[in-house]
Amino acid sequence: MARFHDLEVTDVRKTIRDAVVVTLKPACGAAEEFDFTQGQYLTFRRDFDGEELRRSYSICAGKDEGILQVGIKRVDGGAFSTWANTELKAGDTLQAMPPMGTFFTPLDGAAEKHYLGFAGGSGITPVLSILKTTLDAEPKSSFTLVYANKGVNTIMFREELEDLKNLYMGRFNVIHVLESDAQEIDLFTGLVTEEKCAQLFEHWIDIQSVDTTFICGPEPMMLGIASALRTAGLNDSQIKFELFASAQPGRAKRKAAAADAASSANQTKAAITLDGATQTIEMGKDTTLLDAALENAMDAPYACKAGVCSTCRCKVLEGEVEMVANHALEDYEVEKGYVLSCQAFPLTDNVVVDYDQ
Amino acid sequence: MTDEMSITSYLAQGGVLSNPSNVPPRYRAELMKMMATFVDSELAGAAGFADIINEGPGIKARIAAAKIVLEKSDSAEKVLRIMGDFGADTERYADHHPWTARLERDADIGQSRTKHDMRLAVFNYPLEGWADAVVMNLLMGSAVAVQLEELSHVSYQPLAEAFRAIQPIEAHHAELAEEGLMVLVEAQGTKALQELAGYWWPRVAASFGSETSQKFEGLKSMGLRRTPNAELKARWEQAASAVLAKAGLKPAA
Repeated sequence: MARFHDLEVTDVRKTIRDAVVVTLKPACGAAEEFDFTQGQYLTFRRDFDGEELRRSYSICAGKDEGILQVGIKRVDGGAFSTWANTELKAGDTLQAMPPMGTFFTPLDGAAEKHYLGFAGGSGITPVLSILKTTLDAEPKSSFTLVYANKGVNTIMFREELEDLKNLYMGRFNVIHVLESDAQEIDLFTGLVTEEKCAQLFEHWIDIQSVDTTFICGPEPMMLGIASALRTAGLNDSQIKFELFASAQPGRAKRKAAAADAASSANQTKAAITLDGATQTIEMGKDTTLLDAALENAMDAPYACKAGVCSTCRCKVLEGEVEMVANHALEDYEVEKGYVLSCQAFPLTDNVVVDYDQ
Repeated sequence: MTDEMSITSYLAQGGVLSNPSNVPPRYRAELMKMMATFVDSELAGAAGFADIINEGPGIKARIAAAKIVLEKSDSAEKVLRIMGDFGADTERYADHHPWTARLERDADIGQSRTKHDMRLAVFNYPLEGWADAVVMNLLMGSAVAVQLEELSHVSYQPLAEAFRAIQPIEAHHAELAEEGLMVLVEAQGTKALQELAGYWWPRVAASFGSETSQKFEGLKSMGLRRTPNAELKARWEQAASAVLAKAGLKPAA
């Protein structure tokens, strides 16, 4: 199971008004665990008023730069990103899991490929890591980046990208598409849509020469780009996506308090919600929530029935249940009310559980 | 670039998810079931086949059988690793269950699964000797080819990539079975083999699931399925009949 490690914050630098680049150093000999592949992300955890929040941010450093850096853009109402942008400073300690994610393709020093990256806003972070690593590791390959932003002053890593253009002259090309700032070429103004991509492929990007594409941005933008790429003849294995929820909730809701105390009766009334429908059933306290749901013809999810795989996870909204085994859920999930329904027996006379949360 | 779109409508329009952090609960459940079905089937298939290795006629046949056991275990691990990203305890998962357990040869379970794992029903029947294993592997191999083609388009990118990597490996297992079948036909004729084909045909056919599944539309809108069960089954029937015909065999009546 995933383990968290301490990371020392060695630098916090603003890249635009509401985004910071955080440099990290693994503490206590965990350096090896944080040996990342370009395009991967780190999942951080932090306690906010007694409640643990977890957030994932992509690494923006190149693989061989010898540093670990993530970019964090402030999201309106986002507790973690706001804190990172206003209070986080060098010398602090953060906790993160080792790098995860598969937003990359293998590199080959002899390869002569053309890569095409699309980034929207803070979606640049993993793409930046990929393009820096690729241009360094594959001297014959080239990279074209289409980078969408609201305006000039919201472009993260603008100067760094200019420097890279000079460093890799002729191999690295950036097309900035700005939503609200007018540019010399009309095509470079507006949103990156399917139509816009099709136009870019006509005169600006030789799509036939593209081997692999990387897309990271908001959902509608990714859909439009992917559709244009498929129309242009690319197949699924040539299109790599990375999506992080654009609207991350600021703070998780408090767990509902137990409605009533346990009583002596051996029966429980359970209201179980699955696929938007709620069924209220009578069940014995010696039956698991999962078996009770299955016996009542509900199509509750499960696989191992041994508390190992977490397929049967559901959330307890009211009442109390007890898990006899748990090899899959972490403490913070249990605190939020999640249980493995195959291992959960009701303790109170009423329970309300939800598979849809 | 801030236009909002729900994950549900993103998926319905063909969107792809790339990590566990924004996978909706019901999607997570269906995805986990799909992965568990594959992992359990591969582990049970490998475990059942392991016992057959020694029955292979000659070293080449035994190498082929051993290779199949090795590679099916490897494929199970690829997908189990993705379940691990969602919190599954992967080491315990691989060991928590007796994967060699089988039911009776004539057990009538249709498409149902046993209570304790998610293997496809067909992997609950015991293999009875080398020829039986070859015929089962041939028919199931062509079914897996059809199913993996479907699954290699699932909307969870790490899983789609895993299935794409597994596709050629499983295809090769079916080829090995075809070679094995030809050797058997030459040595012993078709009569006994036809009986085995008749035994396995309906059981493999059942692994395509219900043709009237209510769940298909839901799975389709999540990007987890695209082709209805009946259509996949028809594709398999055509492919498998052709392979059997090469050996002078027919599907079950």
